[in-house]
Parts: sequence; structure tokens; C-alpha cells
Amino acid sequence: MIGFTLRRLVLLLPVFLVVSLVVFFIIHLVPGDPIDNLLRAGSTPEQRLQIAAKYGLDRSLIEQYVTWMGRLLTGDLGTSIIQGRPVSALIARNLPYSLELGVAALLFSTLTGIAAGVIAASYQGTRVDDTITGFILLGSTVPSFWLGLMLILVFAVWLGWVPVSGARGWSSLILPVIAAGLGGIALVARVTRIAMIETSRQDFVMLLHAKGLPPFIIQLRHVLRHAMVPVVTILSLRIGWVLGGAVTIEYVFARPGLGSLLIRALNQRDYPLVQGCLLMLAMAVIIGALIGDIVQAAMDPRQREARA
Amino acid sequence: MLLDLEMLRIRFGAFSPVDQVTLSVDRGEILGIVGESGSGKSLTATAIMGLLPRIGGQIAAGNIRFDGTDLVGMPERQLRRLRGGRIALITQNPMTSLDSMMRIGPQIDQAARLHLGLSRSAARARSLELMADLRIPDPASVYDLFPHQLSGGMKQRIVIAMALAGDPELLIADEPTTALDVTVQAQIVQILVDLVRQRGLGLILITHDMGVVAQACDRVAVMYCGRVVELAQVDALFEHPRHPYTQALIRCIPRHDMAKGTMSAIPGVVPSAAAQPPGCRFNPRCALVADRCRVETPELRVGTSGNGVACHVAEAA
Repeated sequence: MIGFTLRRLVLLLPVFLVVSLVVFFIIHLVPGDPIDNLLRAGSTPEQRLQIAAKYGLDRSLIEQYVTWMGRLLTGDLGTSIIQGRPVSALIARNLPYSLELGVAALLFSTLTGIAAGVIAASYQGTRVDDTITGFILLGSTVPSFWLGLMLILVFAVWLGWVPVSGARGWSSLILPVIAAGLGGIALVARVTRIAMIETSRQDFVMLLHAKGLPPFIIQLRHVLRHAMVPVVTILSLRIGWVLGGAVTIEYVFARPGLGSLLIRALNQRDYPLVQGCLLMLAMAVIIGALIGDIVQAAMDPRQREARA
Repeated sequence: MLLDLEMLRIRFGAFSPVDQVTLSVDRGEILGIVGESGSGKSLTATAIMGLLPRIGGQIAAGNIRFDGTDLVGMPERQLRRLRGGRIALITQNPMTSLDSMMRIGPQIDQAARLHLGLSRSAARARSLELMADLRIPDPASVYDLFPHQLSGGMKQRIVIAMALAGDPELLIADEPTTALDVTVQAQIVQILVDLVRQRGLGLILITHDMGVVAQACDRVAVMYCGRVVELAQVDALFEHPRHPYTQALIRCIPRHDMAKGTMSAIPGVVPSAAAQPPGCRFNPRCALVADRCRVETPELRVGTSGNGVACHVAEAA
């Protein structure tokens, strides 16, 4: 198990290299550059060249990449061209808000989703199942920003139970978590339901019934454990989403966060900041997948042995 | 009688894949149920276990009397107390019958803890004892293994141990050897026979292997298309098979003195539940078919000897 984890960690190095290449070149493919945002109206071409030289933007892309990569290896993400502050400081200031919302939304959607999936599967074909399946369909089609707006309207504006926007205290977190988590609930519930139903059809479940075990014990202690394998897979893909997936929600609720930081940086063509944010998000996705692999291997005794 | 099935009819929607099944098994007795795939053997077993609703079926008519009590219409809660306790099931495929994510031992413990009210440690001790009885080498270390670490034969012994854990009086073994190597098959059948002789269990042994029937059974019910066509003592069945279907089945057993290339088979296939012929269900494949067989369904008449046949031709003979 430890060997497996170490091997997977080593494999992260080439992945990191490819990600850094893509992150760097993709932003330079976008037309425009940060200098436009720094120049005052009526500036001369000489001033333009001066600024380009100051940030190293006059050199070739390869050179710029090598410089950036060299600094990155020493842990330096560079300095924001527009804001003039270290990229790492900007990320560090915004990251807690993203983490707070992302982790809460992930926990909320996972727990609610699994519960809904188990209940739907246990009452398969009944009205309970139909109702939950209906909500799943609704949850996967309703856009989260629209839901966010509706939640604000009802619970903040009309009822006044929670703040309309901002990120002060846990009460300002409730609506964003619901809005951001709904899609996740639907996804987790759907996968849990199907996996539970498929597992229930296996021979060993019939034999558990033949032992006279109560159905809820069979569902929770045996079937759910098998059904969690695909659920862990989709969850591991959502761990990366925890950090960057809630951009629209951050906008709707006027919350700070990595998503808003990235969008602003993109609009201003703030290359170092865009690269820093994208790199963070990409690494979150990769590490999420890694965690998922490890958890899955730990869950299934056959995999545990094959990968030991 | 330990178990008495009387005119049992199983229904799935509009179809009755099992009908008019009458058979019985006593303590210390092995009743074989033989027949081709689709003859309703496994459904009959599922019905006795009370698990038909799990697969979308129900009992439409008849009785299942276990130790004098009718199981048909018994509340699920009471059925669950019998299931895995006084009545236990051994399934066909040991590869898929165990929970692959759970260690072997606790899977055996379950029935003892549930039905005998044993503590964790008492159940463990009982499981280890059962495993030793079933000649599983080194039970204490096998107890902590996962199913994929065992061979098919060993897994089937585990399934048998699981069935015995609740101290059953009736065992239903649904093709317990079909998925196993021939060499292992004989061992598993021998284990089952020993259990019946030593513990006085009643055993229903479902198989399509006439060799297993000859080796193990006391009495045999031959099923075709959801009906019992012949019920007989095992010696009588092999020496004087009365139903043309039984005769054909016995002819299909390969013997070493047969000339090469003369394997015998029953022509045609088992008709589906939706396309049952009128009259005797075997008539399209029967060598001795008479006009009457195409119209009138023969009924199983069980004599005082406990033997019986459902065939117009055999009755006339």
C-alpha cells in the first residue's frame, strides 16, 4: 500500500511538467496582453516597450517559460503584473474562502447524495424512488447560479434569515453551499442508487437474504460498501472542483475565492496570476484523483493485494 | 415429514413457471431434484426459502409445510427467523456467493450470531469448529482471509459452513457442484452426504447431474417444465424409470462401454414458460407420445410407496 502510494507520487512529476506547459502556453494564446491594462491613454510606443522589458514580456515564449519554471522550482510563483503583489500571497488570501465553500459543498453533497441514493435504491420502483429520481433529474439540470439567485431571493430578501452576500460567518455560507452542492447531490445520488441496485442483484446478496439477515443490515453493511467504489471514483474527480468549480457561485454571492481571482486575472491578461491559479487548480484535480485511487485500493481487498 | 410441498404453483406476472409441484423430504433423507435448465428446480428452492418476492415472483397456490407449519402466507418477519436458521441454502456458484469485501470468518459467524444469539467470540469458535468439520485446513488462518484468496472448492466449503452456522434442520443445496472441478465435485457431495447421515438433516439436492443423484440421493423428484413428472426411490428410478423423460435422461448418461460417437441426447429443447404445449408438456419431445398426451395433462399420482409418475402411457402400462 505504501509502495503503491509512493509510485503514484513519483508519477506526478511528469504530469506536473505537462500541466505547467499547457498552463503557460494556453494563456499566451489568448489575444491581448497585460500591458494594455497598465498603459494610460496617449502613451507612446516607447513606454510600451519599456514596460514589456520590465516584465520580461519582450523575450521569446520559450525563454519566458524557462524563467517562470526556474522560479517555480524554487517555490516562487512570480508577481502579479497588474496588482504588483506576489502571486502566492494573492492565492493564499483567497484560498481559505474557496476551501471553506468547496469542502462544505463537497461534504454536504456527498452525505446527502449517498443518503438519497441508498433510500431510492432500497425503495426501488416505489413512489419514494420516483420522487428522489425526480429530484436527481432536477438537480442535474437546474443551473447552480440560477438556484443561487432564487435562494437569495427567498431566504435572504423575503425571509431575511441569512445574509444576501459576502463571506462573514457560517450563516453566509449556507446558501452558497446549497447552491454549489446541488449538482453534486444529484450526481452522487444517481451513482449510489445505480450501484446499490446493481450490487443487490449479485448472488452474494441473495445468500445474505437466505441467512435471514434484516434487509437494512444487508443494504448498509454489505451492498453500500460495494456501491461506494464507483462513488469514490466520481468523488475523487470532484475534489479538484472543490477549489475552482464554484466560480459562478462566488460571483452570485459576491464571495472572494480562487475562482473570482482567476476570472479577474484572465480579463486583465495578468499572466503570472493566471498561471499560478491554473496550476493550483490543476494540481488539486490531480491530487484528488490520487486520493481517490488510494482510497479505492484501500477499500477493495483484491486491489489492495494487487497493488501492495 | 420435515418438509412437504403440496401442489405448489409459482407465478411471475401472467406465467406460472412452476405448477403442481408435490414432493417431500424427511429428516436424515436426501431428496434429489433433477431436470434440465429451466425445469423450475431453483425456483422451487427459492420458494421454500421464501425468497420469491426478491426476484419478482410469488406463490399462487399450494402449501409448503415445514415441520407441520405452512410457510405460505407466513409473515416475512417469521420467515426470516427460519431462513438461515432452521432452513439453510447452499448456492450454485461459490465464486459469487461470498461478499468479496468481507473476511471469510465473519461471514460464517453471521447466521450463528443472528439465529443462535451467540456472542462474537462464541460464534467465532463455532465457525472454526465447523470449518474443521468440513476439512478446511488451518481454519484459524482461513478465518481471516478474503474470498478471492481461496479456491473454488474451498469457497464452496465456506458456503456450506455458512449454511450450517445457524444449526439448520433442512438444507437446500442448489446445484452445489456445478461450478466446480470434477475431482472437487465428489468431495463436496460426500461432505453433504456425511452431514445428513451424522446430523440427521433433511437435504434437498438440486442437480442436473444423474451421477450425483446415483451417488447421493435416497429419493428423486424428476422435474420437467415446472412439474414433477416422476417421484421414486433412487434404485427404482435407475432400474425401472417409468416416465419417458426419466428414461431419456438416464439414456443420456455416458457409459464407458458405449461405442465412440454415440452420445445420446433428448431431441428438441425445453419450451419457454410462454409457449407451453397443451396436454403433457413433454409431448413434443416424447418418443412414446399418444393422442391423449396432446390434449390431457397427466397428473402426478403418488402411491403409498411414495413413488409416482405423471404420464398417461406409463400409467396404462
